[in-house]
Order: sequence, then structure tokens, then C-alpha cells
Amino acid sequence: MSIWIANGLSQDLPPGVVMAGAWRGAELAIWRSASGRLSAWGDRCPHRGMRLSHGFVRGETLSCIYHGWVYGSDGGCRKIPAHPAMVPPATIKAEVYQCVEAGGVIWVAPAAVESDAPDLAGLTPVRSVTLRADRGALARVLAGAVAEGDLWRVPALGAVLALQDRAEGLGLHALCHDAAQRVAVSRWLDGVLRLAEEGALA
Amino acid sequence: MKLYDYVLSASCYKIRLMAALMGVKLQTEAVDFHPGRAHRSADFRSLNPAGTLPVLVDGDLVLTESTAMLVYLARPEWLGQSAAEAAQVQQWLAFSARLGASLGMARLHDMLLYPGDIDAFRRAGVECLRELDAHLTEARFAGRTYLVGDTPTIADIACFPNVALAPDGGVGLDDYPSIRLWSRAIRALPGFIEMPGIHRLHELKPAPEAVPPLETLL
Amino acid sequence: MIAAAVLNEWYPVAMAAMVGPWPGRATTLLGHDINVFSEGDKIIVRGAGGDLAVTLAYGHVWACPGTPAHDLFPVPEAAQPGRRLVDCGAVRVKCSPLRAVENFLDIAHFPFVHTDVLGAEPHTEVGRYEVQIREDSDEVWATKVHFYQPQAAKSAAGGIVTEYMYRVAASTSAVLYKTCPNNPDEWDVIGIFVQPLTEELCEVWPWMALFDDTTPQADLIQFQQMIFLQDRSILENQIPRLLPLDPGKEIPTQADLTSIAYRRWLKRKGLTYGAQMVAA
Repeated sequence: MSIWIANGLSQDLPPGVVMAGAWRGAELAIWRSASGRLSAWGDRCPHRGMRLSHGFVRGETLSCIYHGWVYGSDGGCRKIPAHPAMVPPATIKAEVYQCVEAGGVIWVAPAAVESDAPDLAGLTPVRSVTLRADRGALARVLAGAVAEGDLWRVPALGAVLALQDRAEGLGLHALCHDAAQRVAVSRWLDGVLRLAEEGALA
Repeated sequence: MKLYDYVLSASCYKIRLMAALMGVKLQTEAVDFHPGRAHRSADFRSLNPAGTLPVLVDGDLVLTESTAMLVYLARPEWLGQSAAEAAQVQQWLAFSARLGASLGMARLHDMLLYPGDIDAFRRAGVECLRELDAHLTEARFAGRTYLVGDTPTIADIACFPNVALAPDGGVGLDDYPSIRLWSRAIRALPGFIEMPGIHRLHELKPAPEAVPPLETLL
Repeated sequence: MIAAAVLNEWYPVAMAAMVGPWPGRATTLLGHDINVFSEGDKIIVRGAGGDLAVTLAYGHVWACPGTPAHDLFPVPEAAQPGRRLVDCGAVRVKCSPLRAVENFLDIAHFPFVHTDVLGAEPHTEVGRYEVQIREDSDEVWATKVHFYQPQAAKSAAGGIVTEYMYRVAASTSAVLYKTCPNNPDEWDVIGIFVQPLTEELCEVWPWMALFDDTTPQADLIQFQQMIFLQDRSILENQIPRLLPLDPGKEIPTQADLTSIAYRRWLKRKGLTYGAQMVAA
């Protein structure tokens, strides 16, 4: 299993947006600043445990929705609105992960890891969906797929799936070789979800 | 125009939101839906025999279906700009009833203790969200943001509340990237107003300037 | 195994006006199923192990699953002539009952969660206030709490600096007193009574005792429900769901003095149902 986990497609996280992510069991807040800088943090404001993925991006900072605590791109708390004159101590810091994008995919790894994220260059990102079933159910539906860890290639369709364990199931981040096939691959994914979930129930 | 209103109702919010976007001033009358169940009272049923909220009254006109109220409040460009678009708007208005019967019921169950099969509500809700996300994804491939055509319509306003409030009923929205961007686009519309459970986009306001300390205001 | 200190407290279980005959309101208290029902002019709270001690106060039915350690806390304002008592009904929240109370004691979130109603940027400052655990009543009190509010109550027209007092009256009940726009000599009184269904699920019963003869009842209820439902999406998204009582798990500031005292008071009294004792 790769240390880098796909957490979505670049096209789904424009500047100024925050979303929830996951690195194995850890819940994350992933956000892109106004200038385009990506960050992935533990999804928890150190103050009162509120999910930072519910927060809001202003410029190069992410604010918690609960009390408006402002965090800079290094994860350090910059401002506590209840105490406007106070400089927050450096110990107030979000839990920072590495977050990069390559080939239109957003990849996350723990801070200490020294390796490169996979690069699916040359492919067209299509869409992320979540399967409410496990890898076994997916494998039964994608009989011809070639699995390399969390990357599953589906030659018949010219599609690649980057898999991600998410809170609600198995994230499938889909890319394809032929940009003209985006709609077809997107619809094919809907069918994959239905078949795999029906199979898992049967 | 007078709206018989309940602050936590997704359907009432559709009307408040539409009026706000259109710049129409509504006079609202709060109806004690919970805990008083005043919408089931004889008095209220003399206005709306179905005993449902919202109700919109304009002179002699009494409307009791929220989709009809959206039509009444909308400027023409919000109704679809061709026969095909108008028909697609109708499709999504019908879809919004499915959202109410699934995500809407899950929310009433989890929040206000309404009876019902919560697992069935949630399963049906996830089906709806997947259909919506698939449609919005294809719209984005074509460079569009909203449900029908290039601009927002009453279809968006009919669907937005029960979708945005899905987490109130235990159905998460993290798995639907195109719904997330669509929801942000709606919340960024000029005149947008929120309701409890739907936060406004604080980022639309710049970071605040310093103000004098609180003690100087005492 | 639930601690005796927890079992011997009073908890709200129903709105008194809405209790009907058996089976009445079928609900849960501390993980156990109960029925709240009327028999003649009596209200009974029945669990699998028998009937619970019951008291009626402030529009609600209160039950004690153990042996009551003390009477239900007093709210003298409930009997004060001229006040309107408003029951607001239950809202269910997937969170620790203690997190629901702590959020009620918090003001710093007003500009971000109750935007343009109870607070608004740039007026985000929480000034110094006083907090004490009153030994005579065994309650946590915060006084001289000031905050700038754009619309402090249904009857308030413009922005004002509002003064509050907060009071933790029981482990899962709190009362606030705020500047009354209609009557400068008095305080508006707002309570939240929290029914712990389990450690991670609760029903919250807001209640008010106001000087306000003019605002329709439905408006008062909906204002309170609007405020509380704005909090609900916060409460359901705090990690962990349980309230951490060990210092170090979360980082409070001076604005959180009431919360710090509340956590300390809970720990001292062993009222840890809904609390996390060891940092995970």
C-alpha cells in the first residue's frame, strides 16, 4: 500500500475552498488558498475539536467556523478573534500533513515521509465517487482490472482508479486516457457503484 | 406578500431564499410547527386544508405548494430560457419532492423526532445525491455550474435546501465534489440568505479591520 | 456501570404540557428506555426497573434514575409576576450532553455561528469576566460577561453591548441571564435543559422566562430554535464527541473561563457521563 493516498482531483478543489479528506484512518481538512497553495491538516481545531473542514478560507489562511481562529499555511494559529490584541503562542498548531498534486490528483502523506507522490501524467481527471462496499466487491465487478496497490487500471475502458479508504466507504478517483470519454467514464462509474453494492448485498 | 413560515422548515426556506434573491420583501408570520403543531390546527387548515407549510398569500391568491411559490416569485429568466430548459426545470422540481421525502424526512427524524424508517430515508437520500452529483459533474464538463442552462433557476432553489441540510439527517456531503461546488455557487449569489444548518460563506467578507477594544464601548 | 453521582441527578425528560397517557413519550435516559406518561393528574416516568423519582418544574418533567442527592435547582424568576414562560420543545443532537451545555456557556462563537444575530465581525472580542464555583449552591457562575450584539433578542432593534450572567445549575442544565431590552431593571432568563439519552446523544429543551408582552409566542420559540439549530451543526462535528476533561486535550483561552470551571466542576463531582477522562 502506498504511503501517498489520493484525496481527490485538483479540479474539485479550486482556490478558496476547503473539503474533508482522509489518510487511512485519519480525518483531514484539505484546502487551497487564494494563491493556489494546497494544505492538508488533521480535521480538528486544537481549541474545541471542531472540524476544520467546515471552516472558511480567506486569502492564505483557513479559519475555524466555530470561533474563527485563523491558521496560516504552516498550520500555526495566527489570530484568535476573541482576543484581537493577543499573539497566539506557537504551540497552537494544526496537525500538518504533506499535500501535493500531480497529474490532476491531490495526494496526501504524513509530514515525515520522504518519497514522491505517484504521477499519473498524461491522463485526464474525470470524477471522484465513493463506493459503499469494499475492495473485494469492486474486484468482482472489475474483473479485467490490473491492481498496483491502490492504483487500479481498467484497460477495456482506458480508465485508472486511485483508491482511498474514506469514512463512508471506498473513494474512487477516476481518470481516463481519452479526454473525449469523460462523460462515458463518469456514467460507467455510476454503474460500477450500483453493481458492486448490489453484489456486496447479495 | 405574506408567508406563513417556520424557521427550521427546508420548504419555507426555499421561499425566503427565492424572495431574497429576487429582492422581494416578504411579510412572514411564524407558525408554531414544533412543538405546537399549529399547522395542524383547525385555524390553519381553514387557510390550507392540507395542513402544510409554507403558505404564501398575495391578495386573493393563496399558494400552498412551495414549487408554485417559486414560480410566482421568479423573474422570467429563472424559469428556463427555452421550452427544453423550462421542461428540465420541471424535472428538477419533481426531483426536489424526492429530496424532501428522503433527506428531508431523515432530518425531521433525527432532529425533531419524527417517526419513520431512518435507514430507508437515508438510502433514498444517498441515491438522490448521487444522481445530482452525476448531473452536476456532466454540467461542469460542459462549463456550466447550475442544474439547468448557464444561470441559476428555480430548480436550483428547490433542490438546494434539502441537499445542504442533509447532514442534519445523518447523510454526509463529503463524497460529492460537484454538489459542494454547486452549493458554494448558490451561497455566493447576490442576496443569498442562510438558515440554521446552512452557514453563509464568511470568506465573501474580507478579514475584519481592528476595532476599538470592547471596554471603550461599555 | 454509571456512577452513583450521575444517577442521583435530575434530568429533563419531557415537556409537561405534552405528556399523554401510556405509553406517553417513549424515550431514553442514560442509555435506558423510559416512558413518560400521565395517569389521572399524575405524571409517571417508568423504566424497566420501576418508577423514577419525578418532579415538575419550569414547564418540564424531571426524573432522577437513582436517589435524588438534592432538590432540583431553583429558578426564582420562574415565579416572578410579569414574566412569560416559553417552552421551546426538544431538538435531538448527536453529541455529548456536556458538549451541548458547554456550547451554551460560550460567547466567542456568536459572530461566526450566530452571525448578525448574536454577534458579528469585527466585534469579536470577549472581555474579562468573573467566574466562580459558588460553594453555597454548588453551581458554576460567570458574571460581568459583555459582548457586542447586532440583534440581541427578538425585541431588540439595533446593535448593543449586552451583559450576561451564566449559571451551570446542574450537570446537564444551564441558565443564562441577559440584559432585557424591554426592562432595564430585570434580566431575561433563558435555560437549556439537556436530556442525556446516551453519552453521545442528547435532546435539548430550550426554555425562556421573559419580560415581553407583545411578541407572538411562535416568534419567540422560533427565535430560540433558530439560535440553537445554528449550534447543532457545530455540536455534531466536534472531535471527539465526548467532552475531554483532561487538560491538554483542547486549548482554552481567557474567553473560555466558564468552560474551564464547568469541566473542573464536573470532574470534581464525578459527573462524567458524556466526558472523556483519558486523552485518546
